Amino acid sequence: MNSILTKFNWFALAGGITTLLLIAVSLVYPWWQLTVGDDLLTVDASPINMNLGFLDSSFTIPFIWALNMISILSLLASGITMLIYSIIPRKSYSKHLLDFGYKKPLYTILFFAIGLVATTMICQTVLNFSIPLIGSTTSTLSIPFVSGMTLTVLLSAGFQWSFLLAAVAAGLCIAARIYHKKVAHAESSVSITAAPEAVSPSIPATR
Amino acid sequence: MTCSERVLITRKIDSSFTNHKTHESSILVSESKRWGKMNKVRLLLTLVTIAIVVVPLVGMVLAYQDNLVDLFIPPEMTEMAEDFFGGEGIDGSGIEPPTMVGEPEYNAATRTFSISFQFENPFPMDITIKSLTGNIECAEHRFHLGVASISEPVSIDAGETGTLTVLGTWTLEAISHFESEHGDEELVDAVLLDLVVDISGLQLELGQGNMEQSIQVPNPSLME
Repeated sequence: MNSILTKFNWFALAGGITTLLLIAVSLVYPWWQLTVGDDLLTVDASPINMNLGFLDSSFTIPFIWALNMISILSLLASGITMLIYSIIPRKSYSKHLLDFGYKKPLYTILFFAIGLVATTMICQTVLNFSIPLIGSTTSTLSIPFVSGMTLTVLLSAGFQWSFLLAAVAAGLCIAARIYHKKVAHAESSVSITAAPEAVSPSIPATR
Repeated sequence: MTCSERVLITRKIDSSFTNHKTHESSILVSESKRWGKMNKVRLLLTLVTIAIVVVPLVGMVLAYQDNLVDLFIPPEMTEMAEDFFGGEGIDGSGIEPPTMVGEPEYNAATRTFSISFQFENPFPMDITIKSLTGNIECAEHRFHLGVASISEPVSIDAGETGTLTVLGTWTLEAISHFESEHGDEELVDAVLLDLVVDISGLQLELGQGNMEQSIQVPNPSLME
Protein backbone atom coordinates (compact mmCIF):
# COMPACT_ATOMS: atom_id res chain seq x y z
CA MET A 1 0.00 0.00 0.00
CA ASN A 2 2.79 2.36 1.02
CA SER A 3 4.73 1.51 -2.14
CA ILE A 4 1.71 2.41 -4.30
CA LEU A 5 1.42 5.72 -2.47
CA THR A 6 5.07 6.51 -3.02
CA LYS A 7 5.47 4.94 -6.46
CA PHE A 8 3.66 7.86 -8.07
CA ASN A 9 3.41 11.47 -7.01
CA TRP A 10 -0.35 11.72 -6.74
CA PHE A 11 -0.30 15.44 -5.98
CA ALA A 12 1.63 16.04 -9.19
CA LEU A 13 -0.87 13.93 -11.11
CA ALA A 14 -3.79 15.94 -9.65
CA GLY A 15 -1.87 19.19 -10.17
CA GLY A 16 -1.11 18.36 -13.80
CA ILE A 17 -4.71 17.42 -14.56
CA THR A 18 -6.02 20.53 -12.77
CA THR A 19 -3.57 22.74 -14.66
CA LEU A 20 -4.68 21.35 -18.02
CA LEU A 21 -8.31 21.68 -16.93
CA LEU A 22 -7.61 25.26 -15.88
CA ILE A 23 -6.45 26.15 -19.41
CA ALA A 24 -9.66 24.78 -20.94
CA VAL A 25 -11.87 26.47 -18.34
CA SER A 26 -10.08 29.83 -18.53
CA LEU A 27 -10.69 30.06 -22.27
CA VAL A 28 -14.40 30.37 -21.47
CA TYR A 29 -14.62 31.66 -17.90
CA PRO A 30 -12.54 34.67 -16.82
CA TRP A 31 -10.64 34.76 -13.55
CA TRP A 32 -11.75 38.31 -12.84
CA GLN A 33 -14.61 40.26 -14.32
CA LEU A 34 -15.37 43.98 -14.37
CA THR A 35 -18.74 45.33 -15.44
CA VAL A 36 -19.28 49.02 -16.17
CA GLY A 37 -22.83 50.35 -16.09
CA ASP A 38 -25.56 47.97 -17.25
CA ASP A 39 -23.19 45.64 -19.13
CA LEU A 40 -22.11 48.68 -21.15
CA LEU A 41 -18.48 47.64 -20.85
CA THR A 42 -17.19 44.32 -19.60
CA VAL A 43 -13.62 43.29 -18.96
CA ASP A 44 -13.04 39.55 -18.80
CA ALA A 45 -9.55 39.06 -17.49
CA SER A 46 -7.43 35.99 -17.06
CA PRO A 47 -3.85 35.19 -18.04
CA ILE A 48 -5.29 32.80 -20.63
CA ASN A 49 -7.86 35.03 -22.25
CA MET A 50 -8.28 38.77 -21.89
CA ASN A 51 -11.30 40.29 -23.53
CA LEU A 52 -12.77 43.78 -23.60
CA GLY A 53 -16.44 43.89 -24.46
CA PHE A 54 -18.25 47.07 -25.38
CA LEU A 55 -21.94 46.21 -25.83
CA ASP A 56 -21.96 43.91 -28.86
CA SER A 57 -18.33 44.55 -29.82
CA SER A 58 -15.34 42.83 -28.30
CA PHE A 59 -11.70 43.81 -28.56
CA THR A 60 -8.48 41.93 -28.17
CA ILE A 61 -5.27 43.86 -27.66
CA PRO A 62 -2.51 42.11 -29.68
CA PHE A 63 0.16 42.61 -27.02
CA ILE A 64 -2.12 41.17 -24.34
CA TRP A 65 -2.94 38.31 -26.72
CA ALA A 66 0.79 37.54 -26.96
CA LEU A 67 0.99 37.50 -23.16
CA ASN A 68 -2.04 35.19 -23.11
CA MET A 69 -0.25 32.86 -25.51
CA ILE A 70 2.80 32.80 -23.22
CA SER A 71 0.55 31.87 -20.29
CA ILE A 72 -1.28 29.17 -22.25
CA LEU A 73 1.96 27.57 -23.49
CA SER A 74 3.57 27.92 -20.09
CA LEU A 75 0.67 26.26 -18.26
CA LEU A 76 0.39 23.61 -20.98
CA ALA A 77 4.07 22.76 -20.59
CA SER A 78 3.66 22.78 -16.82
CA GLY A 79 0.63 20.47 -16.90
CA ILE A 80 2.25 17.97 -19.28
CA THR A 81 5.53 18.00 -17.35
CA MET A 82 3.73 17.45 -14.05
CA LEU A 83 1.86 14.49 -15.54
CA ILE A 84 5.07 12.94 -16.88
CA TYR A 85 6.84 13.54 -13.57
CA SER A 86 3.96 12.10 -11.53
CA ILE A 87 4.37 8.72 -13.32
CA ILE A 88 8.18 8.61 -13.06
CA PRO A 89 9.04 10.54 -9.89
CA ARG A 90 12.18 8.47 -9.14
CA LYS A 91 14.10 8.95 -12.33
CA SER A 92 17.32 10.91 -12.19
CA TYR A 93 15.82 13.76 -14.22
CA SER A 94 12.43 13.75 -12.44
CA LYS A 95 13.44 16.55 -10.09
CA HIS A 96 14.11 18.77 -13.11
CA LEU A 97 10.68 17.99 -14.54
CA LEU A 98 9.10 18.83 -11.19
CA ASP A 99 11.05 22.07 -10.77
CA PHE A 100 10.06 23.09 -14.29
CA GLY A 101 6.38 22.33 -13.78
CA TYR A 102 5.34 23.11 -10.23
CA LYS A 103 6.19 26.83 -10.15
CA LYS A 104 4.35 27.92 -13.28
CA PRO A 105 0.73 27.92 -12.01
CA LEU A 106 1.87 29.81 -8.91
CA TYR A 107 3.82 32.36 -10.96
CA THR A 108 0.87 32.77 -13.33
CA ILE A 109 -1.44 33.60 -10.40
CA LEU A 110 1.12 35.96 -8.88
CA PHE A 111 1.79 37.83 -12.15
CA PHE A 112 -1.95 38.09 -12.81
CA ALA A 113 -2.72 39.42 -9.32
CA ILE A 114 0.20 41.87 -9.43
CA GLY A 115 -0.84 43.05 -12.92
CA LEU A 116 -4.42 43.55 -11.80
CA VAL A 117 -3.46 45.51 -8.69
CA ALA A 118 -0.95 47.60 -10.68
CA THR A 119 -3.56 48.41 -13.36
CA THR A 120 -6.14 49.55 -10.82
CA MET A 121 -3.51 51.63 -9.01
CA ILE A 122 -2.37 53.25 -12.29
CA CYS A 123 -6.01 54.07 -13.16
CA GLN A 124 -6.44 55.61 -9.72
CA THR A 125 -3.21 57.61 -9.87
CA VAL A 126 -3.12 58.72 -13.51
CA LEU A 127 -6.81 59.00 -14.42
CA ASN A 128 -8.13 59.53 -10.88
CA PHE A 129 -10.60 56.78 -11.67
CA SER A 130 -11.05 54.07 -9.08
CA ILE A 131 -11.65 50.50 -10.20
CA PRO A 132 -12.60 48.02 -7.48
CA LEU A 133 -10.90 44.65 -7.32
CA ILE A 134 -13.86 43.15 -5.49
CA GLY A 135 -17.31 44.66 -5.02
CA SER A 136 -18.97 47.74 -6.46
CA THR A 137 -18.10 51.41 -6.53
CA THR A 138 -19.24 54.54 -8.31
CA SER A 139 -16.45 56.31 -10.14
CA THR A 140 -16.32 59.65 -11.85
CA LEU A 141 -14.19 60.38 -14.89
CA SER A 142 -13.68 63.70 -16.62
CA ILE A 143 -13.98 63.38 -20.39
CA PRO A 144 -10.74 64.55 -22.00
CA PHE A 145 -10.94 67.66 -24.20
CA VAL A 146 -14.56 68.28 -23.13
CA SER A 147 -14.59 70.78 -20.27
CA GLY A 148 -17.16 70.38 -17.54
CA MET A 149 -18.44 67.03 -18.81
CA THR A 150 -18.04 64.12 -16.46
CA LEU A 151 -18.97 60.46 -16.61
CA THR A 152 -20.19 58.70 -13.51
CA VAL A 153 -20.46 54.95 -13.68
CA LEU A 154 -21.18 52.05 -11.42
CA LEU A 155 -18.36 49.54 -11.56
CA SER A 156 -18.78 46.01 -10.28
CA ALA A 157 -15.87 43.62 -10.13
CA GLY A 158 -15.05 40.28 -8.63
CA PHE A 159 -12.96 37.16 -8.88
CA GLN A 160 -14.70 34.21 -10.49
CA TRP A 161 -14.64 30.50 -9.59
CA SER A 162 -12.00 29.84 -12.26
CA PHE A 163 -9.56 31.90 -10.16
CA LEU A 164 -10.18 29.48 -7.30
CA LEU A 165 -9.46 26.61 -9.68
CA ALA A 166 -6.15 28.30 -10.51
CA ALA A 167 -5.37 28.56 -6.79
CA VAL A 168 -6.19 24.86 -6.36
CA ALA A 169 -3.90 23.95 -9.29
CA ALA A 170 -1.07 26.02 -7.81
CA GLY A 171 -1.67 24.48 -4.38
CA LEU A 172 -1.58 20.93 -5.74
CA CYS A 173 1.67 21.66 -7.62
CA ILE A 174 3.29 23.02 -4.45
CA ALA A 175 2.01 19.97 -2.54
CA ALA A 176 3.61 17.81 -5.25
CA ARG A 177 6.96 19.51 -4.58
CA ILE A 178 6.64 18.84 -0.86
CA TYR A 179 5.47 15.25 -1.48
CA HIS A 180 8.47 14.70 -3.74
CA LYS A 181 10.70 14.54 -0.63
CA LYS A 182 8.66 11.60 0.63
CA VAL A 183 8.79 9.88 -2.77
CA ALA A 184 12.54 10.43 -3.08
CA HIS A 185 13.09 9.27 0.53
CA ALA A 186 11.02 6.15 -0.13
CA GLU A 187 13.20 5.46 -3.17
CA SER A 188 16.45 5.60 -1.20
CA SER A 189 15.09 3.42 1.66
CA VAL A 190 13.80 0.88 -0.89
CA SER A 191 17.18 0.74 -2.64
CA ILE A 192 19.04 0.30 0.66
CA THR A 193 16.80 -2.51 1.87
CA ALA A 194 16.71 -4.15 -1.54
CA ALA A 195 20.47 -4.12 -2.02
CA PRO A 196 21.98 -7.60 -1.70
CA GLU A 197 24.31 -8.16 1.17
CA ALA A 198 27.87 -7.76 0.13
CA VAL A 199 29.96 -10.86 0.80
CA SER A 200 33.39 -9.79 1.78
CA PRO A 201 36.11 -12.31 1.07
CA SER A 202 37.48 -13.81 4.22
CA ILE A 203 41.12 -13.12 4.64
CA PRO A 204 42.81 -15.64 6.76
CA ALA A 205 44.93 -14.30 9.48
CA THR A 206 48.60 -14.52 8.81
CA ARG A 207 50.59 -16.48 11.21
CA MET B 1 50.19 -22.24 5.01
CA THR B 2 52.09 -23.56 2.06
CA CYS B 3 53.43 -21.39 -0.73
CA SER B 4 50.87 -22.63 -3.24
CA GLU B 5 48.09 -21.83 -0.75
CA ARG B 6 49.44 -18.29 -0.35
CA VAL B 7 49.48 -17.76 -4.13
CA LEU B 8 45.91 -18.99 -4.35
CA ILE B 9 44.75 -16.56 -1.65
CA THR B 10 46.60 -13.70 -3.34
CA ARG B 11 44.92 -14.60 -6.65
CA LYS B 12 41.58 -14.67 -4.94
CA ILE B 13 42.14 -11.25 -3.35
CA ASP B 14 43.50 -9.82 -6.59
CA SER B 15 40.60 -11.24 -8.55
CA SER B 16 38.13 -9.69 -6.08
CA PHE B 17 40.01 -6.37 -6.26
CA THR B 18 39.88 -6.37 -10.10
CA ASN B 19 36.12 -7.08 -10.02
CA HIS B 20 35.63 -4.24 -7.56
CA LYS B 21 37.47 -1.90 -9.91
CA THR B 22 35.35 -3.06 -12.83
CA HIS B 23 32.18 -2.53 -10.79
CA GLU B 24 33.36 0.95 -9.77
CA SER B 25 34.11 1.94 -13.34
CA SER B 26 30.71 0.64 -14.46
CA ILE B 27 29.10 2.78 -11.73
CA LEU B 28 31.08 5.77 -13.00
CA VAL B 29 29.90 5.14 -16.56
CA SER B 30 26.26 4.82 -15.48
CA GLU B 31 26.60 7.95 -13.30
CA SER B 32 28.03 9.91 -16.20
CA LYS B 33 25.17 8.66 -18.42
CA ARG B 34 22.69 9.70 -15.71
CA TRP B 35 24.26 13.15 -15.48
CA GLY B 36 24.23 13.43 -19.26
CA LYS B 37 20.52 12.57 -19.35
CA MET B 38 19.79 15.03 -16.55
CA ASN B 39 21.68 17.79 -18.31
CA LYS B 40 19.86 17.03 -21.55
CA VAL B 41 16.48 17.27 -19.78
CA ARG B 42 17.54 20.45 -18.02
CA LEU B 43 18.73 22.01 -21.28
CA LEU B 44 15.56 20.95 -23.08
CA LEU B 45 13.36 22.47 -20.35
CA THR B 46 15.36 25.71 -20.39
CA LEU B 47 15.01 25.93 -24.17
CA VAL B 48 11.27 25.27 -23.89
CA THR B 49 10.94 28.08 -21.30
CA ILE B 50 12.82 30.52 -23.53
CA ALA B 51 10.82 29.51 -26.61
CA ILE B 52 7.51 29.87 -24.76
CA VAL B 53 8.32 33.47 -23.81
CA VAL B 54 10.22 34.65 -26.88
CA VAL B 55 8.26 33.15 -29.79
CA PRO B 56 4.84 34.78 -29.11
CA LEU B 57 6.36 38.19 -28.31
CA VAL B 58 8.74 38.25 -31.28
CA GLY B 59 6.02 36.88 -33.57
CA MET B 60 3.60 39.61 -32.51
CA VAL B 61 6.20 42.38 -32.85
CA LEU B 62 7.09 41.11 -36.34
CA ALA B 63 3.42 40.96 -37.30
CA TYR B 64 2.88 44.57 -36.22
CA GLN B 65 6.32 45.94 -37.14
CA ASP B 66 4.79 48.44 -39.59
CA ASN B 67 2.56 49.98 -36.93
CA LEU B 68 3.61 49.21 -33.39
CA VAL B 69 0.83 51.39 -31.92
CA ASP B 70 -1.71 48.83 -33.17
CA LEU B 71 0.08 46.31 -30.98
CA PHE B 72 -1.33 48.09 -27.92
CA ILE B 73 -4.41 49.87 -29.30
CA PRO B 74 -6.30 47.86 -31.91
CA PRO B 75 -7.71 49.88 -34.86
CA GLU B 76 -11.30 48.88 -34.00
CA MET B 77 -10.88 50.57 -30.63
CA THR B 78 -9.57 53.77 -32.26
CA GLU B 79 -12.50 53.80 -34.70
CA MET B 80 -15.00 53.43 -31.89
CA ALA B 81 -13.35 56.22 -29.88
CA GLU B 82 -13.54 58.45 -32.98
CA ASP B 83 -17.23 57.59 -33.34
CA PHE B 84 -17.78 58.70 -29.77
CA PHE B 85 -15.58 61.72 -29.40
CA GLY B 86 -14.64 62.69 -32.95
CA GLY B 87 -17.97 64.20 -34.02
CA GLU B 88 -18.76 67.81 -34.65
CA GLY B 89 -21.17 68.19 -31.75
CA ILE B 90 -20.62 69.87 -28.43
CA ASP B 91 -16.88 70.34 -27.89
CA GLY B 92 -16.19 67.57 -30.37
CA SER B 93 -18.09 65.03 -28.30
CA GLY B 94 -20.32 64.01 -31.22
CA ILE B 95 -23.42 64.73 -29.17
CA GLU B 96 -25.88 67.19 -30.72
CA PRO B 97 -28.23 69.07 -28.39
CA PRO B 98 -31.85 67.89 -28.52
CA THR B 99 -34.32 70.01 -30.50
CA MET B 100 -37.68 71.03 -29.07
CA VAL B 101 -40.73 69.79 -30.94
CA GLY B 102 -44.39 70.73 -30.55
CA GLU B 103 -45.94 73.12 -28.06
CA PRO B 104 -45.20 72.93 -24.34
CA GLU B 105 -48.12 71.90 -22.15
CA TYR B 106 -48.90 73.20 -18.67
CA ASN B 107 -51.05 71.88 -15.83
CA ALA B 108 -51.86 74.74 -13.45
CA ALA B 109 -53.21 72.48 -10.72
CA THR B 110 -49.96 70.57 -10.30
CA ARG B 111 -47.66 73.39 -11.56
CA THR B 112 -46.18 70.87 -14.00
CA PHE B 113 -45.39 71.27 -17.66
CA SER B 114 -44.18 68.93 -20.38
CA ILE B 115 -41.93 69.65 -23.34
CA SER B 116 -41.01 67.16 -26.09
CA PHE B 117 -37.51 66.97 -27.57
CA GLN B 118 -36.06 65.04 -30.45
CA PHE B 119 -32.65 63.57 -29.77
CA GLU B 120 -30.43 61.90 -32.34
CA ASN B 121 -28.41 58.97 -31.04
CA PRO B 122 -24.86 59.77 -32.21
CA PHE B 123 -23.39 56.53 -30.93
CA PRO B 124 -22.77 53.46 -33.10
CA MET B 125 -25.00 51.40 -30.80
CA ASP B 126 -28.53 51.29 -29.47
CA ILE B 127 -28.93 53.25 -26.25
CA THR B 128 -31.51 53.45 -23.49
CA ILE B 129 -31.87 56.79 -21.77
CA LYS B 130 -32.91 55.58 -18.34
CA SER B 131 -33.19 58.99 -16.75
CA LEU B 132 -32.55 62.63 -17.48
CA THR B 133 -32.67 65.40 -14.92
CA GLY B 134 -31.77 69.06 -15.12
CA ASN B 135 -32.46 72.53 -13.82
CA ILE B 136 -34.49 75.21 -15.58
CA GLU B 137 -33.43 78.82 -15.32
CA CYS B 138 -34.89 82.01 -16.65
CA ALA B 139 -32.64 82.95 -19.58
CA GLU B 140 -32.90 86.67 -18.92
CA HIS B 141 -32.53 86.79 -15.11
CA ARG B 142 -30.76 83.45 -14.52
CA PHE B 143 -33.41 82.74 -11.91
CA HIS B 144 -33.96 79.13 -10.90
CA LEU B 145 -37.46 78.12 -12.00
CA GLY B 146 -37.63 74.43 -11.28
CA VAL B 147 -36.39 70.98 -12.17
CA ALA B 148 -37.03 68.78 -15.16
CA SER B 149 -36.85 65.04 -15.80
CA ILE B 150 -38.00 62.57 -18.46
CA SER B 151 -41.29 60.81 -17.91
CA GLU B 152 -40.10 57.31 -18.81
CA PRO B 153 -36.96 55.55 -20.15
CA VAL B 154 -36.48 55.93 -23.91
CA SER B 155 -34.66 53.50 -26.20
CA ILE B 156 -33.11 54.92 -29.37
CA ASP B 157 -31.42 52.76 -32.02
CA ALA B 158 -27.97 53.63 -33.35
CA GLY B 159 -28.09 56.73 -35.55
CA GLU B 160 -31.87 57.05 -35.08
CA THR B 161 -33.83 59.92 -33.54
CA GLY B 162 -36.10 59.42 -30.54
CA THR B 163 -38.57 61.65 -28.74
CA LEU B 164 -37.97 62.54 -25.11
CA THR B 165 -40.81 64.00 -23.09
CA VAL B 166 -39.44 66.18 -20.32
CA LEU B 167 -41.64 66.90 -17.33
CA GLY B 168 -40.95 69.96 -15.17
CA THR B 169 -42.36 71.42 -12.01
CA TRP B 170 -42.24 75.13 -11.23
CA THR B 171 -41.36 76.23 -7.74
CA LEU B 172 -43.60 78.71 -5.89
CA GLU B 173 -40.83 81.30 -6.25
CA ALA B 174 -40.82 80.62 -10.01
CA ILE B 175 -44.55 81.37 -10.22
CA SER B 176 -43.91 84.67 -8.41
CA HIS B 177 -40.99 85.37 -10.76
CA PHE B 178 -43.17 84.74 -13.83
CA GLU B 179 -45.83 87.08 -12.40
CA SER B 180 -43.46 89.87 -11.43
CA GLU B 181 -40.88 89.81 -14.24
CA HIS B 182 -42.67 88.25 -17.22
CA GLY B 183 -46.30 89.14 -16.48
CA ASP B 184 -47.12 90.13 -20.06
CA GLU B 185 -45.14 87.42 -21.94
CA GLU B 186 -47.02 84.37 -23.18
CA LEU B 187 -43.81 82.36 -23.74
CA VAL B 188 -40.74 82.92 -21.59
CA ASP B 189 -37.17 82.18 -22.70
CA ALA B 190 -35.55 79.67 -20.37
CA VAL B 191 -32.55 77.37 -20.37
CA LEU B 192 -32.29 73.72 -19.43
CA LEU B 193 -28.90 73.16 -17.79
CA ASP B 194 -26.92 70.94 -15.41
CA LEU B 195 -28.19 67.92 -17.25
CA VAL B 196 -27.51 64.49 -15.86
CA VAL B 197 -28.27 61.74 -18.37
CA ASP B 198 -28.21 58.05 -17.48
CA ILE B 199 -27.47 56.08 -20.62
CA SER B 200 -27.39 52.33 -20.01
CA GLY B 201 -26.02 52.83 -16.51
CA LEU B 202 -23.44 55.40 -17.60
CA GLN B 203 -24.24 58.74 -16.03
CA LEU B 204 -23.19 61.67 -18.20
CA GLU B 205 -23.05 64.91 -16.25
CA LEU B 206 -23.01 68.08 -18.29
CA GLY B 207 -21.67 70.86 -16.11
CA GLN B 208 -22.13 74.58 -16.55
CA GLY B 209 -21.51 75.81 -20.06
CA ASN B 210 -22.16 72.42 -21.63
CA MET B 211 -25.31 71.65 -23.52
CA GLU B 212 -27.38 74.56 -22.25
CA GLN B 213 -30.60 73.90 -24.06
CA SER B 214 -32.63 77.02 -24.86
CA ILE B 215 -36.34 76.44 -24.51
CA GLN B 216 -39.48 78.52 -24.47
CA VAL B 217 -41.85 77.74 -21.64
CA PRO B 218 -45.50 78.82 -21.34
CA ASN B 219 -45.98 81.54 -18.74
CA PRO B 220 -47.87 79.85 -15.90
CA SER B 221 -49.12 83.19 -14.52
CA LEU B 222 -51.17 83.71 -17.71
CA MET B 223 -52.50 80.15 -17.77
CA GLU B 224 -54.06 79.95 -14.31
